[in-house]
Amino acid sequence: MKIIDAHTHVDEVGAWQDPPEVIVRLMDEAAIEQAVVMTYRDAPAIQSAPDLLDPIEYTRRAVERYPERLIGFARINPRAGDEADRLLRLAVLEYGMKGLKLHPVAYRALPDGPDTLRLLRLAGDLGVPALFHCGDEEFTLPLQIELAAALCPQTVIILGHMGGYFHVQDAIAAAERQSNIILETSAMPYPWRIAEAVQRIGAERVLYASDGPGCDPSLEVAKVRRAGLRDADLELVFHGTIERLLRLSP
Amino acid sequence: MIVDAHVHLGDGLFGQRYSRHDLLAAMDEAGIDRAVVSPLKPRGYHFGAANDLVAEAVRSSNGRLLAFGRVDPWQGEAAVDEAERCFTQLGFKGLLLHPWEELFPVNDPIVFPLIDLTARHGCPIMLAGGYPVVSHPSRIADLAGRFPSVTFMVTSGGQINISGGMLAQAEAMLRSSPNVLMETSGIYREDFIEDMAAALGPERLIFGSGAPTYDPRHELDRIRRAHLPDAARVLIGGENLRMLLSWEESSVRRSRTNRGHD
Repeated sequence: MKIIDAHTHVDEVGAWQDPPEVIVRLMDEAAIEQAVVMTYRDAPAIQSAPDLLDPIEYTRRAVERYPERLIGFARINPRAGDEADRLLRLAVLEYGMKGLKLHPVAYRALPDGPDTLRLLRLAGDLGVPALFHCGDEEFTLPLQIELAAALCPQTVIILGHMGGYFHVQDAIAAAERQSNIILETSAMPYPWRIAEAVQRIGAERVLYASDGPGCDPSLEVAKVRRAGLRDADLELVFHGTIERLLRLSP
Repeated sequence: MIVDAHVHLGDGLFGQRYSRHDLLAAMDEAGIDRAVVSPLKPRGYHFGAANDLVAEAVRSSNGRLLAFGRVDPWQGEAAVDEAERCFTQLGFKGLLLHPWEELFPVNDPIVFPLIDLTARHGCPIMLAGGYPVVSHPSRIADLAGRFPSVTFMVTSGGQINISGGMLAQAEAMLRSSPNVLMETSGIYREDFIEDMAAALGPERLIFGSGAPTYDPRHELDRIRRAHLPDAARVLIGGENLRMLLSWEESSVRRSRTNRGHD
């Protein structure tokens, strides 16, 4: 069965040395055809790290090295204001990236704050989804992101990790209430919650992902298989949903 | 031999029910040979009957189960008495403390008498680690430093944080506290398992499932699929714990699900 991983990382910063070869090797181990990649760092780059490649440029180059395997998402700090908007337009319109990544733990702003809402609406206008880190910490809780989803109904919002360790119930409930919310399975440790999500919101709104290379894509694939989904739903979770979402050729 | 260091049995306060029958069937399905069991937090709040239930499960397991006792440190002398009963009358091999469910800071002085008691019996302490506020790895390191001759098994590698925010602190805890072993149930990131095994030695890691909170098949997959030398995988998968508990390697006839109920 074809598998596309909706959430992986490429970057070289400090102790986290994960050039694209690392995730591609793990993809090969797990028989994953394609993966969405994003950096550990927000763009725009911070001034105090001039030796590091700009995050958007890093992502672009990673995809350029493996154009058949990797799909770029732009990880951006909404608090950069107009610069954030410019970077998202650049990433999508010039570089062909297919989504926005937001990690509010890094930039500490509520999902329904004005800067984030503006960037989310721009993502919707550009026709790309926004993948939020969604777990157990302030600024990333499912009920907080749901407020943004309700205010930006034209933007597809992906809850990465679908609520983490303690907030999976909230993530599934938020997805039931907001039709523009999609749940993504990476690192969430309860296989049966994937089955519950599919039963309550449909496999058309559930994505397989690994959070690799830190989390092992092979393990995350096996976890989805343990959910006991029927084949038609597995096809959607493993590739059908994201192909539709990112307009990839099947 | 695969040994699961961390399983809870009983009729739990938070809606979980897990019997010896459930566990042994899950072990057979996942390929787990033995397990260390302790009580779920019981509906009746008091651990005496819960520890008795676990003792009965061990007696009926044909040698596949060992038990750790569980007490609520807030019960003071009564908790110490119950822990002593677990060791001397029930034959338990360690003590579990759960700062999240019993609601105490892991390094609070209320736990000191229990650790002293456990140390006198030559047994390890299992700590439910990585929970917000109560069992942050910095607090575990503080506790471990006060009792350097006691072995602490810390669940989930001492870090339950899906943004990776506790990874550095958990590593610092392991580096500063040679008497801390990291158990792997529900752990965030498999490269943490691989990196700590490489950096600190596989002797510091112990496989545990955390059942029924986590799925034993998925949790054992973490160890089976981790990029580890085979020798390390054997140690982490059960040999470390077997040696820690002096659990003899005698042959154990596997129980089957049709052996009856508790």
